[in-house]
Amino acid sequence: MAEYYGSKVVDIFNTMPVRFKPDGVKGVDVTIGYDILGEGGGTWVVTIKDAALKVEKIAGDLPKCSVVMTADAEAFVGGALGKIDPGEAFASGKIKVAGDIIILGNVLPKAFEKFTPIVRARAIVESMVERFRPEKAEGVDLKIGYDLSGEDGGAWTAIVKDGTCTVKEGLDPDCTVTMRMVSEVFVGLNLGKIDPAAAFGSGQVKIEGDMMAAGATAKLFKKFEVAGAEEKQGEELISLKCIPSIRHRFATGSHMGKWFKGLKEKKFYATQCPVCGRTQIPPREVCAVCRVRCDEFIEVGPKGTVTMIDTVYYASPDPLTGKVRQTPYAALFLVMDGSTPSESFAHELNPKDLDRIESGMKVRPVWAKERTGSYRDLLYFEIDD
Amino acid sequence: MAHKKNRHVGVVGIGQTEYSSHKEYQNQVEMVNEAVRAALADANMTLNDIDCVVHGNMELFEMVHQPDMWHSLGTGAFGKPEFRITTGGTTGSTLVCAADNLVASGMYDVVMAIGLEKLQEGNTTGGITNMADPLWFRHLQTGALTATTATMMIQEFGEERARRAAMKYRIMMDKHAVLNPRAHRRFGLEYEQMEDLMKTSPKLVGDLRLIHMCSQSDGACVMIFACEEKAKKVSKKPVWIRDHITVHREEMFNNFGIERPEMTHHYAARKLFERNGIKNPIEYFDVFEMYDPSAWWGLDWLREFFLLEGDEHIKMLENDEWGLDGKLPVNPSGGVTSTNPIGATAMIRPAEVALQIRGDAGAHQLKREVKHGLASGFGGTLWTVLIMLEKDLKW
Repeated sequence: MAEYYGSKVVDIFNTMPVRFKPDGVKGVDVTIGYDILGEGGGTWVVTIKDAALKVEKIAGDLPKCSVVMTADAEAFVGGALGKIDPGEAFASGKIKVAGDIIILGNVLPKAFEKFTPIVRARAIVESMVERFRPEKAEGVDLKIGYDLSGEDGGAWTAIVKDGTCTVKEGLDPDCTVTMRMVSEVFVGLNLGKIDPAAAFGSGQVKIEGDMMAAGATAKLFKKFEVAGAEEKQGEELISLKCIPSIRHRFATGSHMGKWFKGLKEKKFYATQCPVCGRTQIPPREVCAVCRVRCDEFIEVGPKGTVTMIDTVYYASPDPLTGKVRQTPYAALFLVMDGSTPSESFAHELNPKDLDRIESGMKVRPVWAKERTGSYRDLLYFEIDD
Repeated sequence: MAHKKNRHVGVVGIGQTEYSSHKEYQNQVEMVNEAVRAALADANMTLNDIDCVVHGNMELFEMVHQPDMWHSLGTGAFGKPEFRITTGGTTGSTLVCAADNLVASGMYDVVMAIGLEKLQEGNTTGGITNMADPLWFRHLQTGALTATTATMMIQEFGEERARRAAMKYRIMMDKHAVLNPRAHRRFGLEYEQMEDLMKTSPKLVGDLRLIHMCSQSDGACVMIFACEEKAKKVSKKPVWIRDHITVHREEMFNNFGIERPEMTHHYAARKLFERNGIKNPIEYFDVFEMYDPSAWWGLDWLREFFLLEGDEHIKMLENDEWGLDGKLPVNPSGGVTSTNPIGATAMIRPAEVALQIRGDAGAHQLKREVKHGLASGFGGTLWTVLIMLEKDLKW
């Protein structure tokens, strides 16, 4: 099966159960569909519900999911390994997302530990040539056979002779020593995750031939290192992470003070320029066109005509609450009844009207029950049917 | 009447880092230092030749106070007069205007201007939202993301034509960026992808899709300015700052009524061209480096900056007249949709124009002779800065 950057698409899905962090997904209920294209690809459905995980490989079409990611296999694996910038793969169309895109950014990092490449027996055996230490092998002449069972297994013979080491596929019949085990045990031993004494003692490793030779092989080779791990250690870059949270209190000044007092009484007060007659809402102290003070207030609205709708799909933090905003939502620009036509006023749209709202429609304000003199007094505008 | 200048000011040194989304291997000081060294080498100067430093970034993004002090080991401003300037998106161009004024006034002979940003160290969209008017609009703003211009263009030119034009503009910018080894995002987009991207690039706001929007980049840009006498002495190819204008009007986004007031871009261009006697800016300028935060804005603003009418700007795009071999090349560097370290972004514009005039831009150097260049800066609620650069002291 195709490997990308040394890993397979299935590795990412197969390791999900071990990488899963139930504490990170309390109260989350999502279904994520994956359609991975190209060699080694396929379709998977990942369900996270009640802090439990289910990963299924699907034949045929994906069922209804909260979000579906369609990705080129190489971009998918590269993104998981941090070999390519997922944002850029996303921007250039190599990764596409349909549905609730926020899940990928908000839920996945909390749900899973980062994917690290699976080390396979083949990589360890093939690296023996590079790890060979000729200075320790003077006069050594032996053939070491590895017979590894399991999905990632295989059979290899390492030949040490005349201060060199070669590795070939298959078991030579005249091996000095042959070691048989499940490939995962072989990998675990080489990564230091399985205690050799226990493995040999418990019969997980079966040795045929010269036991002493088997014991001597270790000093002939440098320790196996996961690709990139040593390098990474040398380049560890320390950065500090912090989230500042600051309480603010802003004085309104005279004109905005009058505006908020008006909102408490369900009224919209605009200033009117004494020179050009332009109304400003919310009220500002100076007309920026005529550069004169505006101290005259007139009441406008309460209804208005929509001139522009900005429907937001991108979920960003709301600095007034610290919470990520629920999307989609719409910012409305409207000209209030009684305002001059160049002056638009902006506020939120009642989410129930998202599908129906159009430029030119008449809208009315919906007020909060308890009004305290803030932007929260005005819940939103809605279509004035 | 043009901007009254006591004496001429020339750009004698330019230094830029590469721009990227990640620079974990450098802190801010080291990043600034890289660009400062490059600019000094370009000007054939040492720090001893610098009389004054003007420093700027949008410090609220990284939330570190007095960055000029922190960066002084990298900037070399130790023991020198220094100013710090923070005007949001326009920071980079305001730095250039300030440096020009400081030299033109006679106060200093050589001024080094430094613009930088390390957006990786903060949250750009959250940061911009958090800086909006807290009394009215912060509850609505989503960083610099808005589709109002897309909506207006679709209303005016129809869905199909407007969407294709915005995507063509974006792909053209990517094609320019691919030629610029310092540019951050170089996707290698092809015009054949237009239809696909129009459908599949994720929607951010309305018709503004991810592919249309500018990047969040790390990087620094440094320019050294000298009075005429020194500029001619140290540099074989000084580039002259002819004039600049800064326009801002409303502190709110209130210009989406039934009648639309004149945009600050249009006002700035009209005033600048008028006082410099430029009747046909498209004919006059050989290159324009624009602060184009999104493909929609970039395309729409070309109409404003060049005082065009109706669909002239779209026709020019459709006829490839804004391209590298077109009538008036826009953003040979790839522009802001490819590279956006905010405090440096508006300085990269005049820096790239100056490189074009010198003939030192590299792979994205225009084939024609570049004599007259224009650069723009943008920020906040439609702040505009325009800077005119010239090859020869003849105006």
